[in-house]
Amino acid sequence: MKPCLLERTTVLFAWAAGLLLTAAVAVLFGYLFMHGLEVLNLPLIFGKTPPWRALLLQERVFEGLFPALAGTFMLVLLAICWAIPVGLATGVYLSEYAGPRVRRVLDALFDVLAGVPSIVVGLFGFALAVFLHRHFSERIGPCLLISSLALSILVLPYIIRTTQASLEGLPREIRLTAIALGATKLQNIILVLLPKSLAGVMSGIILAIGRCAEDTAVIMLTGVVASAGLPKSLLSQYEALPFYIFYISSQYTSPEELQQGYGAAIILLLLCALLLLAAYGIRKGLTHLVFYRP
Amino acid sequence: MSNTKIRVENLYFSYRGRSVLRDVSVGFARNAITALTGPSGVGKSTFLTTLNRLWESTRDATMQGRVEIELQGRMRDVYDRGMPLTELRKKVAMVFQAPNPLPMSIAKNIAFPLKLAGERHRTVVAGRVEQALRMANLWHEVKDRLQDDARTLSGGQQQRLCIARALVLEPEVLLLDEPTSSLDPAATDAVEELLTGLKERLTILVVSHYLEQVVRISDRVVRFADGTIVAG
Repeated sequence: MKPCLLERTTVLFAWAAGLLLTAAVAVLFGYLFMHGLEVLNLPLIFGKTPPWRALLLQERVFEGLFPALAGTFMLVLLAICWAIPVGLATGVYLSEYAGPRVRRVLDALFDVLAGVPSIVVGLFGFALAVFLHRHFSERIGPCLLISSLALSILVLPYIIRTTQASLEGLPREIRLTAIALGATKLQNIILVLLPKSLAGVMSGIILAIGRCAEDTAVIMLTGVVASAGLPKSLLSQYEALPFYIFYISSQYTSPEELQQGYGAAIILLLLCALLLLAAYGIRKGLTHLVFYRP
Repeated sequence: MSNTKIRVENLYFSYRGRSVLRDVSVGFARNAITALTGPSGVGKSTFLTTLNRLWESTRDATMQGRVEIELQGRMRDVYDRGMPLTELRKKVAMVFQAPNPLPMSIAKNIAFPLKLAGERHRTVVAGRVEQALRMANLWHEVKDRLQDDARTLSGGQQQRLCIARALVLEPEVLLLDEPTSSLDPAATDAVEELLTGLKERLTILVVSHYLEQVVRISDRVVRFADGTIVAG
């Protein structure tokens, strides 16, 4: 093949691939909104309960998605809270402190962890719940805490890898700027390297948020149920949107119920968008706080 | 009293098993500008990093030999176990080839090393920032916009900002690795004028590829070739 033709074919293929992906996303969103937009209203979320009474936790919501929405929100926040410190610290360790041999071993281990199917992580969470139930307290069983811990294990590789890659990708001049001015290694990491790689680190966290919000296999084995109301504590069972969508789409008895499933899917997308926007906001705020605070 | 500020003996350096510097022995006088010249890849920049131990941040590098620098009136073995690394780097400051201001305001850039050193007193910091900017001939150009992002400065101003940032800790030795290679002629002139003015207070080592520059600013020229000193 002539080089000119090869170049044109490659460009054409790249365009086609990009177009196909965009079209697939557009079709998916269009389909969802076409089926779910009609039921997207306050009763879908709050049922017959007045919204403000539900939000102030004065009245339980029985026929709406509010408990599942709140459960998903709490689940994602908790899982991210566990995963961020461990993921960041591990990424920093791999990039800045680990020797070549240790790094090779840990790299391989985290690659394996990234490839573990979520159902296996769910099974691990379930086994952990059983172990804790037997050996520590009978109050502990599949619950919000176990689900969030299992999910945090699932998303750890995203945060570790993006932190490591962002730190390793910094140019030599940036890496040495503070060191040459008398900074200790830790000062350099905290004051220069991590803030400079914040964009990359946050992209890992954003990916992790998305994964936490959508995963169903892990939570099915570790604490989610179809009807639990709002979780009363970390050791309570809970409801979650992905499970609701799975449940309703496999067990629906009327077209209206299925339509509610589409509505729930749109709400899940909106919740993810909200969390991602919050993550972007935090990234901007953190950069400003670290670098531009007078 | 000897006029030697820096003394290097039998210095060997290798990176990933490849010899970069071999048997380098040289001395540098205080309050003088010494230009380190030679073709690319002969170890000039690496040599600078052996003086403030900056090479230790590089994986797979090894060094042998002795480096002594007169600090606070006393000749000190740079590689002695008792030598605090952060103190050494405050006294033997380094400026890189490309200007590398941090993404923060002009004032915060200059105050950054003071923050690292634990200086929190705002009045002291402000005074030191002004002093460093005056020494770097930058004060009059930036005094009205100290809170602006440092990256909005021109290339030459950014490089002088980096020199000011190095000067704020009152170093005794200033190492510059091709400080004007990315600058236009006017900015180069400004940096050269600055360096000439600074040599009364500091011992300056500057890596340069430009023969005219070497002739203009240096008191002595040390020529590197194939990992060792061949002249000077």
